[in-house]
Amino acid sequence: MLRFIGKRLWNGALTLAALVTLTFFVMRLAPGGPFSRNRKISKEVQANIEAAFHLDEPVIQQFGRFVWRLLHFDLGPSTRFRDYSVNDLIASGLPYSLTIGFWAMVVATFVGIALGILGALRRNGMTDYVAGTIGVIGIAIPIFVIGPVAQAYFALHLGWLPVGGMGAGWKSWVLPVLVLALPNIAYISRLTRTSMIETMRENYVRTARAKGIGGRRVLLKHTLKGALLPVVAYLGPATAAIITGSVLIETVFALPGIGRHFVDAALNRDYPLVTGITLLYGGIVILFNIGTDVLRAWMDPRLRHA
Amino acid sequence: MKMKGIGLLLASAALSFGLGGAAMADGVLDRGMGSEWSTLDPHVVFDGATGWILMDAYEGLINFGPGGTIVPGAAERWESSEDGLTHTFHLREGLKWSNGEPLVAQDFVNAVSRTLNPDTISEKGYYFYSTVSITGAAALANGETTDVSTLGVTAPDDRTVVITLDNPAPHLLYLMGAFQMSPVHSPSLEASGTAAFGDPTKVVTNGAYAIKEVVPQSHILLEKNPNYWDAANVSIEKVKYYVTEDVATELKRFQAGELDITYDIPVNQIEALKAEIPDQVMIAPSTYVSFYSFNLTKPEFQDINVRTALAWAINREVLQEKIVKGGATPSYAFAGGVDPEYNGPQMPGFELSQEEREAKAKELMAAAGFGPDNPLKINVVTTVAEDRMRIAQGVALMWKQVLGVETDIRGMERKAWLDEFYTTNWDVFSDGLIGDFAGAETFLSYMRPSAEPGYNWVSPEYDAAMDVAGTKADKASRDVELAKAEKILLDDMTLAPIAVEPMRALVSTKVNGWIPSATGYYNSQYLRLE
Repeated sequence: MLRFIGKRLWNGALTLAALVTLTFFVMRLAPGGPFSRNRKISKEVQANIEAAFHLDEPVIQQFGRFVWRLLHFDLGPSTRFRDYSVNDLIASGLPYSLTIGFWAMVVATFVGIALGILGALRRNGMTDYVAGTIGVIGIAIPIFVIGPVAQAYFALHLGWLPVGGMGAGWKSWVLPVLVLALPNIAYISRLTRTSMIETMRENYVRTARAKGIGGRRVLLKHTLKGALLPVVAYLGPATAAIITGSVLIETVFALPGIGRHFVDAALNRDYPLVTGITLLYGGIVILFNIGTDVLRAWMDPRLRHA
Repeated sequence: MKMKGIGLLLASAALSFGLGGAAMADGVLDRGMGSEWSTLDPHVVFDGATGWILMDAYEGLINFGPGGTIVPGAAERWESSEDGLTHTFHLREGLKWSNGEPLVAQDFVNAVSRTLNPDTISEKGYYFYSTVSITGAAALANGETTDVSTLGVTAPDDRTVVITLDNPAPHLLYLMGAFQMSPVHSPSLEASGTAAFGDPTKVVTNGAYAIKEVVPQSHILLEKNPNYWDAANVSIEKVKYYVTEDVATELKRFQAGELDITYDIPVNQIEALKAEIPDQVMIAPSTYVSFYSFNLTKPEFQDINVRTALAWAINREVLQEKIVKGGATPSYAFAGGVDPEYNGPQMPGFELSQEEREAKAKELMAAAGFGPDNPLKINVVTTVAEDRMRIAQGVALMWKQVLGVETDIRGMERKAWLDEFYTTNWDVFSDGLIGDFAGAETFLSYMRPSAEPGYNWVSPEYDAAMDVAGTKADKASRDVELAKAEKILLDDMTLAPIAVEPMRALVSTKVNGWIPSATGYYNSQYLRLE
């Protein structure tokens, strides 16, 4: 098992290195630079600014500088946000993105699995249809539609929750978390339902039942454990996607997370910030994938040797 | 089962009442600011909305009162020499920083020399060597000297600032009030470096408000500065500036009462809001002018007939009122839209009706050798911002209908668009300029061929006219000379004026004292909350 994890980590590190190198160079191919302005500035001032951020050096030397800093866990200064380093910006935004992502995943997992089980137990019953409808809505309608609709209803019409921002304590989190959870509730409930129905037909489940084990116990102990394998496989990448894909939710709900920094940085050619967040996102995706692999390997010994 | 949990959550949220009322009652003015501040260093910052925060937190020698009018700031009075080259500002007695330390004239001198110092890596030095020519400013900015005693900004005593110019500049006062003139609290700058500006525990300011809380991508909280000389007349205790990047969300937050003043209004909502809450929709001209520049390096645009025809074929009223619908004012001039005292020229053909212009445009196009068999094919390079795209599409349609011109609209992301200007790839450039102050000169000086390589427009007559204007010390006679220069520019048809762009905001009825200001200054100290 340890060798398995070690190998995954090593591969992950290689992928990450390739990703960051690629981002570093591709970013500089885009037209426009961090200090392109519609106001002309004197050549001397322009040169000063570029020198201050080492943009006057050959790209390969800039890359060397970047790698050297990276080895000291320093992602460099942001060219757009002069008051902050990239480390500062990530430190300030990441907790928000992580918190929203975490709670959205918690809600999605529990609600999704519950709906999936209910759907599988009472196939074609009322619950199944309701769960199915939520599923279709959650999958089909994108966040940038559901978000504003939810704001219009819960914040403007009912006045229960704030439209956006972080100024209202826990209430500020409710809408973003629910809206972000919705598509994942949909996927998870569909996955659970299908997988449950298949597992319930398995021989070992029938055996368990024939042995006289109670219905609830069969469900929770025997059926569910087998049925959740595909769900677990989905959870890792989905959690990573939720954290790294938070830009829409952060924009719609005006949250100070890291996703908006990412988009903003790309638009403003803030090379250090783009590279820094790419590294972070890449790291998160890779770690969650490894985590999922490990979890699945633990749940299903056959996978350890694959 | 778990659904019950969520139901409970929602129900408990329902029990506590909406936030709207609470946000209003707490005496905090909540303002939207669009994108996040790039920095809170007043000598480095270049984005407009951050300027609002800095205008609240700092005060220059003069200040901008309601409607952007010039009022005494840190200086209670000032006088200018006959030749307009020496300006003496007298500071109020007993001025203090927000931490209670005395504020002295040298703090203002340090502000200018800091902005010009290459180590500050500020892009705003041009304010002091180009917008106005302070003696010695260019040499400091270019690194020719590091001796700040050569600078024409001096403090003969603690309450006097003297500014010496190479050329007279009646618009000097506008710059003395801009946040670039924020004085420097040297002890905190020395102790903490640039962190002295963005860190609430370290920042020391001299304006009506002090910076109390800074949360990146979220908000900045300002609190009334008790040490401000006019604190007795500052009505609002706290001002909170929110990052509001998404204009649709900003509107909803305003409607929910979370914001009192917005940064912008979604263009497609303007009409509905005007019908619904007319007294809260504020749309007024800003110092942002938009125009279409023609690429003079291309043979077809070297023919003034082609340039004139293209400029005349644009129906500016229809463009703004039926197509863009963003509240901009159609414009037939370049520099004339923002200063009511400036009586400038309009583009040739302005006296004609639009029908007449279009008819003549067809003739001019034919004279230039283009017609149905041989249509002119051009590209327009623009940013992909919604209103810019609408302008481009509208103009292209008019060019097609009136002149048969085939236009390829090239939408670009902003940074790419900025760099594209200095290439020769474009035929027509969807251009714009934001003035540094509400006067014609800021626009006209930008067009000096010697100063702007991208336009490839060389006109010794224009340079000469601008030089003459530069010698006039009083505004009225300077404006007369500036108008002569603008006429040379417009007569050459190197650009087609489009519009004076608006400032758009929603202002709650609970906010009193909001008066439209072309320069875009809306200091919170002059506003009141009901």
